[in-house]
Amino acid sequence: MAGERPRSPVAWPLVSDRRIALVPPRYGPDVIGGAEASFREVAAGLASRGWEVDVYTTCAIDHFTWANHYPAGDSHDGDVRVRRYPVVNDTSGADRALVDAMVARGEMPTLPEQERWMNDGLRSPELFHALIDESDRYRAVVVTPYLFWTSFAAAAVAPERTIVRPCLHDEPQARFELFSPMLEGSARLWLNTEPERDLLDSLFPGHAPGDVVGEGVTIPKEADPAGFRARHGLGERRFVLYAGRREGAKGWERLLDTFSATVRKGNLDLALVTIGVGDVHIPADVADSVFDLGRVDDRERDDAFAAASGYLQPSALESFSRTIMEAWLTGTLVIANAASEVVAWHCERSGAGLLYDDDNELEQCLRFLAEAPEAAATLAAPGRDYVLDNYTWEATLDRMEASLEQMP
Amino acid sequence: MSSERILVVSPYPPIRDGIGSYAVQQVRALRRAGNHVEVCSPEPSAAHHHLDTRGPKGALALGRLARRFDRTILHFHPDFFYEIPATPTSRLTTGTALALALRTAGNVTIVLHEVDHRWAAPTDPSAKATRAVFRAAAEVAVHVPEHRRMMVEEFGVPAERVTLVDHGGDFVARVPDDRAEARRILGLPADGHVFLCIGFVQPHKGFDRAVAAFGDLGSAGASLYVVGSVRVDDPLTADHVAELERLAARTPGAHLRLSYVSDDRFDRWIVAADTVVLPYREIWSSSVAERARLYGRPVIASRVGGLADQLADAPGIQLVDDNVALALAMRRAVSGAASGSPADGSTERASAAWSFADGVDRESVQAEVRRRAGTGSASRAARRATSAAGTGSASSPLRRVPTLSLPPAASARPGVSTVKKLIRRVIGWELDPIREQVSRIQRATVESVDVLDARVDELEDP
Repeated sequence: MAGERPRSPVAWPLVSDRRIALVPPRYGPDVIGGAEASFREVAAGLASRGWEVDVYTTCAIDHFTWANHYPAGDSHDGDVRVRRYPVVNDTSGADRALVDAMVARGEMPTLPEQERWMNDGLRSPELFHALIDESDRYRAVVVTPYLFWTSFAAAAVAPERTIVRPCLHDEPQARFELFSPMLEGSARLWLNTEPERDLLDSLFPGHAPGDVVGEGVTIPKEADPAGFRARHGLGERRFVLYAGRREGAKGWERLLDTFSATVRKGNLDLALVTIGVGDVHIPADVADSVFDLGRVDDRERDDAFAAASGYLQPSALESFSRTIMEAWLTGTLVIANAASEVVAWHCERSGAGLLYDDDNELEQCLRFLAEAPEAAATLAAPGRDYVLDNYTWEATLDRMEASLEQMP
Repeated sequence: MSSERILVVSPYPPIRDGIGSYAVQQVRALRRAGNHVEVCSPEPSAAHHHLDTRGPKGALALGRLARRFDRTILHFHPDFFYEIPATPTSRLTTGTALALALRTAGNVTIVLHEVDHRWAAPTDPSAKATRAVFRAAAEVAVHVPEHRRMMVEEFGVPAERVTLVDHGGDFVARVPDDRAEARRILGLPADGHVFLCIGFVQPHKGFDRAVAAFGDLGSAGASLYVVGSVRVDDPLTADHVAELERLAARTPGAHLRLSYVSDDRFDRWIVAADTVVLPYREIWSSSVAERARLYGRPVIASRVGGLADQLADAPGIQLVDDNVALALAMRRAVSGAASGSPADGSTERASAAWSFADGVDRESVQAEVRRRAGTGSASRAARRATSAAGTGSASSPLRRVPTLSLPPAASARPGVSTVKKLIRRVIGWELDPIREQVSRIQRATVESVDVLDARVDELEDP
């Protein structure tokens, strides 16, 4: 690329047993997204255990525009070295739109169409070539999530030392033949849950060895629910919380529609508070029941979870759902879309979540929260132990290191 | 070591392409030697640049880009630069523009993957332009001696500019497995002779020939795996795949694994195999052969294109000229007689196929007789397997009918190609559904005849 200079011959260091490369499409404290936040924790956690961790990522912060936000080059995030490469996004989007339209019609694109779809969006040639140059130095190159060009391209560089953390959802793209070499030909897979493994087994029976490593959740220090209420003028009013990306793919718009419809029916002593990114279009007639706080820091987020009567998870496409864990850690009941097998699995295993299949069921869940708060709190109680038993960072990093030991 | 700014022009990952895989290994080696390397691919990819390199416009754009570098390495396949189909007129204009672009680009190496030598024939009006393309390069790298001769004698490239390079020179092994481990990972049986055909599934690869030649070797514990994906979604390839599926279904021990194959899985299949079979009907040179050589796996290959030259010095290679010789070579591989077969790459012709290096016994001769005849009292499954691609199948006459395809909209006369293309475009909406329907009817008829044939067999021998 322009700006690069001819390089001097270099001596290539030998592979280190304790050196690992992580390849997420975006990375940084300002990046919104559960998988991205989790990966940052993985990087920091492995570094704290003595691993030399290099993150290869793009300069983007926003997954809608993929505009280059951070400067290219090396920087540090604590003990983690971050190597950023510019995004190239110079195609028309026509191939991507064509395939998306086919998928919407229930058609399966051909392999060449899938290839054009993959390359018709963000790309980062410099990131790819950096891995070409340096992948041999690492014990493992971990890419995530499966759907992104960075993962797809990086997994092709050194499959024998690549670990894919797919974060697989049951979506049409997961059936693309395109992903077969990545999921079948990589050295190992890091899976979040058993339902993800089941899905993988059904879609790619010949997949690479998979380890359910789960995901870690940071245990919040003492939360301040009263302070949260005071800071946002909520008084004693009970509310349900939605945290994360406010976009159609996450089920946000339908959630808002259903909540609004329930409010309009009356007799719902419950507000909706939302935090995160994305535009929120609150209907004027329910404006006094919906509070958009936008992006908040981690402390404020923890306080919000603790202050809420219930946490809403409307997404059907979750591979782990970090936010429901955060809700349970603060003793808050989860109300979730049953279409997400992973979230349903968590709710059933923990006993601390309600599921809904349609708008009517969601309405009744909201009414239960509003009308039986003590019962709801009792229901939520086992959630915290469920998280502590399964999803602490210590346990997760132990599982990841055990998996890394399996690498050649 | 001096550092250069090098432009590599090639298809490139993450698009799956054999030439792209070759290019990325070359790029890795060049970068590790301290060079600054950028890549230009015909379509968006992990390359630094992408531009449509076809036609005069593409050639000139490529020339402008190449001038920014000390050196350009251009992986040449006609499809990357010429219109498809390439007419003499388009070859003339494209060749002229490409030659001009390469000449002004300076230090250009063409890595030759494929070109039709008839393009250089004196009777071809575009020959001068085509020759000029290769003569504009400072170096033309070829993989087999035959191509070296062709470049010098037919394309007029000075001999000192044509270099013979090792096709696998930049290839590195990607999997550490031994055969047992590779088989375990791939879910293959631990024992038994494993034949492998691997690569993109296309009619010219001739994988159907291998299945037919495999015949009843499954009864001897052998297996044949045809592994690869379908890249070209045209009716001809669809028919070929359907035929392969039918053949594999009827041949005990033959397995068709249609899936996308990653680079390391590709290598793992080769490691797992006892013999790699390249039953190509046509090919220029073969990366599969190089990877088989890298892992020391024996190869049975048809003597086509530059394969004989490419594999000439490699140990464990058997070249065959026809289907019968292919079947015999596979049979010998299973019986362990491969070491007694011609190791010098000499041809096994059908006329010599009756000689049995491992000693003659009645069963093997009888089996060979049945294979050739495609009839007799062999097991029903083996008989069907043999006859499906041979002469004994009830549906054979139907299978021999070529798939209906439209004549190419091309002409040697100036301007006629354009008119033909225009007409094709205008009437395409009427013709294409008819053509597809005829193909469907042909396939359905073949299937129906085979089903009826099987039922007759069952009635005859319940």
